[in-house]
Amino acid sequence: MSVLEVQHVTGGYTKKPVIKDLSFTIGKGELVGLIGLNGAGKSTTIKHIIGTMLPKEGDIRLNGVTLKENTDKYRTAFSYIPETPVLYDELTLREHLALTAMAYGIDEATLAARSEQLLKEFRMEKRLNWFPSHFSKGMRQKVMIMCAFLVNPSLYIIDEPFVGLDPLGIQSLLDQMDTKKKEGASILMSTHILSTAEKHCDRIILLHEGRVRAQGTMADLRKAFAMPHATLDDLYIAMTKERDHEEHA
Amino acid sequence: MKNMRDVWSSRFMHYISEVQKYMQFIFTGHIAIVLVFLVGAGGYQYSEWLKIVETDFPAEGLIALIIGILLAFSRPTTLLREPDQVYLLPLESKMSQYFKKALAWTFWSQVWIVAIVYIVCIPLIKAVTELTTLNIWSIFFIVIALKFVSVQGEFSYRYSERGHYVWVDRLVRAIVCGVTVYMGLQMQLLLALVVAVIGYVYVWVFRKKCANEPVPYEHFVKLEQNRMMSFYRFANYFTDVPHLHGSIRRRAWLDWFYQFIPYQKGNAQKYLVFRTFIRTDDHFYLWLRLTVISAVIAAFVNTPLVTWSVAGALSFATTIQLKQALIASGEFRMDMLYPLPENARKVAVQQLVRLTMIAQAVIVGLCGVTQPMFYVTPIIIFVVSELTAKMSKS
Repeated sequence: MSVLEVQHVTGGYTKKPVIKDLSFTIGKGELVGLIGLNGAGKSTTIKHIIGTMLPKEGDIRLNGVTLKENTDKYRTAFSYIPETPVLYDELTLREHLALTAMAYGIDEATLAARSEQLLKEFRMEKRLNWFPSHFSKGMRQKVMIMCAFLVNPSLYIIDEPFVGLDPLGIQSLLDQMDTKKKEGASILMSTHILSTAEKHCDRIILLHEGRVRAQGTMADLRKAFAMPHATLDDLYIAMTKERDHEEHA
Repeated sequence: MKNMRDVWSSRFMHYISEVQKYMQFIFTGHIAIVLVFLVGAGGYQYSEWLKIVETDFPAEGLIALIIGILLAFSRPTTLLREPDQVYLLPLESKMSQYFKKALAWTFWSQVWIVAIVYIVCIPLIKAVTELTTLNIWSIFFIVIALKFVSVQGEFSYRYSERGHYVWVDRLVRAIVCGVTVYMGLQMQLLLALVVAVIGYVYVWVFRKKCANEPVPYEHFVKLEQNRMMSFYRFANYFTDVPHLHGSIRRRAWLDWFYQFIPYQKGNAQKYLVFRTFIRTDDHFYLWLRLTVISAVIAAFVNTPLVTWSVAGALSFATTIQLKQALIASGEFRMDMLYPLPENARKVAVQQLVRLTMIAQAVIVGLCGVTQPMFYVTPIIIFVVSELTAKMSKS
C-alpha cells in the first residue's frame, strides 16, 4: 500500500488554482523528488500534504486516512522540514528537541537516545543551550532536520533541504535519509539541486505550471522526452523549452 | 540624490517623523502629568534648599563634575543605516559633507541638556560664590563651546579608533571639561584657557588621524541601531512598537517554574506557552507593568473604590492582551502540525493566563495589606480575569 496518495488534487490561495488535478503516490521506502521551476506549485503541493492548505477538489491520504478522517493518525504519519527554518526564538536547541518529542508522544529515554545520535551526526552537541538568534542559517536548518528525524515517521516531507547547509551537513542529511529509507520510511523531497536529485531519488515528479508534466524513474523520464542519454538537467531544460515553444507558437 | 546634503535631509526627515510618531504616545499618556509633578516638586525642594545652603558648600566642584560628565557623553547621531556600508561606499570622499550635517544636528539636539543643567545651577552659584552675572554667563558660553568641541571630539575619536576604548576618550574629555569649568568658576580664567587649549589639541590630534581612515560604517551603524533600540524600548512602555517584536531573554531565574510541567504528550503546548510567556519581553513586561501599576495603587491609595476599579480595569487589560497575544496564529509555527488536539493551544493559554492572574492578585493583595478591606482587591482581580477569559472570543 502507498504511504502517500495524492488523488486529483486541485487547490490554491484564491479562486485561481495553483495546482491542477495533481495525482501521484509514494510507496514504502521510496525517495521521490519533486522538481519544478519557481512558481510551478511545489510549495503549494507540500502545503496541501502537510494540511496547512485544504484541497478544493480531490483527496490526500497518508497511511490510508485523510486529515479529516483521523487527524491524529494523519499528523503522526509525517514530519516536515520547511524551506526556511521555522524556529521558536524563545526555545533553546534542547527545548526544540524536547517539545517535538513530547508532541509526538516519544518517551524520554527514546528522546535522549535519538537526540544524542542526531546531535553527534550534525555536530551540534555543544549548542544544546543556545537560542536560535545565535544560530547561522545552516545551523537553523540543522535544528529543523534533527526535529524531523527525531520523530521517526513513515513519511518525511523535505522542502529544498540543501540550501544553506555546509557540505558536511548535506552529507549527514543524505546519510540520514538513506538510513531511514532502509528502515522503510518514505521521503518526498523538493529541490533545485538536480544532480543530487538524479543521484539519490528513486523516482522524480516533474511539476510544471501546477500539473504533473512527467513522473517516473530516470529511465522513464528519458523515454518520455525521447532523450536516451540525458541528465535530469537536460530533461528539465527541455521541459521548459518545450513550454516556451508552445507559448510562442 | 543630488549630493550628500540631500541624503542627510531625507534621512533626517524620516528620523524626525519616526521619533514624533512615538513621542505622541509618550507625552499624551499619564507620563506627562507625572513629569510635571516631578519637576514641580523638585523645583520647590531646590528653592527651599537654596535658602539655607551654607556658603562653604562645594558648589563649584559639584557643578564642574556634573557638567564634565554630561559633556563627556556626546555620542554622534549619524543616522547611518546598514545598507550604507554598500551603497554609500563609492561616495566615501564626499562623506565629510554628510558628517558635517550630522554633527551639527548632534550638537543642537544635545546642547540643551547641558545648557538647562547649567542654568538650573545659576541660583546655586549666586548663593554660594561671589561671581557677577557677567562672569556667570561668560562661563555659560564656555560650556556651550566645550559642548561643541566635545561633539567633534567624540566623533573624531570613534571615527579614528572604530569606537575601541571610547571610555578612555570620555574620561579624558570629562576631566578636561570639568577642570575648565572649575577654573572658570574659581575665576582662574587664564588656567581655564590653558586647559581648554589642551582639550582642543587633544581633539585636533584625533581629527587629523581621521583623515587617512576609511569611514567606520560598521561602528556607526551599530551605534545608530543601539540608539534607536533604546528609544524603541523606552517607547514600548507606552505603546506597541513593531520593531521590538520577538525580543527574547532567557530569565534563567524563572527556570524553576518549568518543573511544574512534567514531560508528557498532553503537556506539549504548555511546555511551549509557558516559555513563550516568560522569555518574550512583550508578554512578560506587559504583565509586569500592569501588575506593578495595580500594586502601587493598592499600596498607596486609601480609597477602596479607586483601588478596586483600577485593579479590575488592569485585570481586564492584562487578561485580554495576554490571551490575544499568545493565541494569535498569524504566522506558521511548527506546533500547528503537531498531532495534538485542536484546542491544545487554547487550553494551555487559558491555564497560563489563570496562573499569571492569580499571581497578580496575590501581589496586589499583599501590597495593599495596610489599606482598609484590602482582601477584596484580589477577589476582584481574579473574578474579572476569569470573566474576561470566558467571554472574550478565542
